[in-house]
Amino acid sequence: MGILEIKQLYKCFGHHKVLKGLDMDVPEHSIFGFVGKNGAGKTTTMKIILGLLKADSGSVTVCGEEVRYGETKTNRNIGFLPDVPEFYGYMNPLEYLKLCGEITGLTKSRIKTRSEELLELVGLKDANKKIGGFSRGMKQRLGIAQALLNEPKLLICDEPTSALDPIGRKEILDILLAAKGKTTIVFSTHILSDVERICDRIAVLHDGKLALCGTISENKKRHRHNGFAIEFENEKDALLFENTEELKHPSINLSRDGNAVTVLLTDSNMDGHFILDVLSQMRIVPLRFEVMEPTLESMFMEVVQ
Amino acid sequence: MRGYLVFLKKELFEYTKTYKLLIMVLVFVIFGITNPLVAKLTPVILKSFMTDGIIITLPEPTAYDAWMQFFKNATQMGIIVMVILFSGVLSSELSKGTLINLLTKGLSRKSVILSKYTCMVLVWTVSIALCFGLTYGYTVYLFPKEDTPNLLFSVSCLWLFGLFLLAVLLFSAALVKSSYGCLFITVIVMAACIIMNIIPSIHRYNPISLATDNMGLLVGSIEASSLYDAILVSSLFSMIFVSLSAMIFQKKQL
Repeated sequence: MGILEIKQLYKCFGHHKVLKGLDMDVPEHSIFGFVGKNGAGKTTTMKIILGLLKADSGSVTVCGEEVRYGETKTNRNIGFLPDVPEFYGYMNPLEYLKLCGEITGLTKSRIKTRSEELLELVGLKDANKKIGGFSRGMKQRLGIAQALLNEPKLLICDEPTSALDPIGRKEILDILLAAKGKTTIVFSTHILSDVERICDRIAVLHDGKLALCGTISENKKRHRHNGFAIEFENEKDALLFENTEELKHPSINLSRDGNAVTVLLTDSNMDGHFILDVLSQMRIVPLRFEVMEPTLESMFMEVVQ
Repeated sequence: MRGYLVFLKKELFEYTKTYKLLIMVLVFVIFGITNPLVAKLTPVILKSFMTDGIIITLPEPTAYDAWMQFFKNATQMGIIVMVILFSGVLSSELSKGTLINLLTKGLSRKSVILSKYTCMVLVWTVSIALCFGLTYGYTVYLFPKEDTPNLLFSVSCLWLFGLFLLAVLLFSAALVKSSYGCLFITVIVMAACIIMNIIPSIHRYNPISLATDNMGLLVGSIEASSLYDAILVSSLFSMIFVSLSAMIFQKKQL
């Protein structure tokens, strides 16, 4: 059973239908990359999970318990990091974590030890100034600290890295990766390299539904086209290869850029042997012959278009 | 209950740290000190403007003048300052998103509404009590041996009117997103109360009577018992407005 289950979720704002029957299942102890274009409905989905927005229909279950809009009972299992976390500017990090801890009902001593641990983890141990003077990256770190305070079973992060510089991004990703053993993480983003780095599962939200879902390696296997990049010694060979009669077939897609030719085979009966045969018949030895791995980007582009 | 207490503590902390408490208290303390002084000094000031040929006869100032100043200042400037100060009670937290964090931590929305109301009531009570205490002290000092009947009752009426006004304010804050919208609705409700006060049969039940009849109570032109209905209506509506705010906020999409 998944820690978070979403079934047939619908939501519209006025006439704009954002979610059209979203189904999603997040298994325990995974890092789940939730990808989609701007305005695809990632934040909306997260807010519905948190009971902050009302779904038109459908159900959301967190740890086997159904989320009811306006109530916050299921939220005791969830830690949430908003896209731009805002805190009370007149408090310092320890005061803020104390407030959060008191709300969740942790004991005084527990709050103290957890706060110190987490501030150490996110690198804010020596930041004793008021939150009002924090930079965006510091706020993002404090956001992670407050989200992890009550040791949630599910950590939801809304674009935690989108506004940060490369170093800040790397650090936030490392913190999330460090938290992986203890909690399940759902993390929305549109930076695919972040997903590649830390996620083991990916879901692509497009047109109100999941266009892609599953582990990254599984998806890569599924979306592996018979694509080959072949580089020739000179342009003459490349031209010769491009214009071979045997390759003039509707299921073969050829594109040439200088000395390099990319071949896409859409017919599943054909594979690399076919091209190697063609090359050997023509008595051409290419400089490079490469099977193309699908990138997350190409997968994303494919399902979104 | 735990959420309520924790959030109340946070609210009080916020009012002290953001100087809102200080502003409220300062305004009311200044009024408290100046009320009797202005009453005492007005004739002296006017006298200094008199030149030959103009004779203005001025009655001796009394304790009534001091209390007239008190009720005038508290019901006008005092209330205006309070309403403006508290108009962002929900909108500032919602627009910045500071509340979202705490709600996702399991803080119930009802606790938010109730502790916000409690905190506003506390600030208002402290302010009006300070103002009253200071005016009282100075009045006794400047105008000794003058008796003002119904004084405590009259001030309590004003205090209760404050509670009613804060409930309206909270209700408007739950209803709309911006602090201007909240101010607007509060002003509309007050204006409606003032306009309805023209009709004599409504005056008896109108909460605004609690803020307009204060001097009448002191000089004895208005019986205390004539305000009982207004007290009842105000208390009832305060409770209704606070409950409604909680209900609306519960269903609000954040």
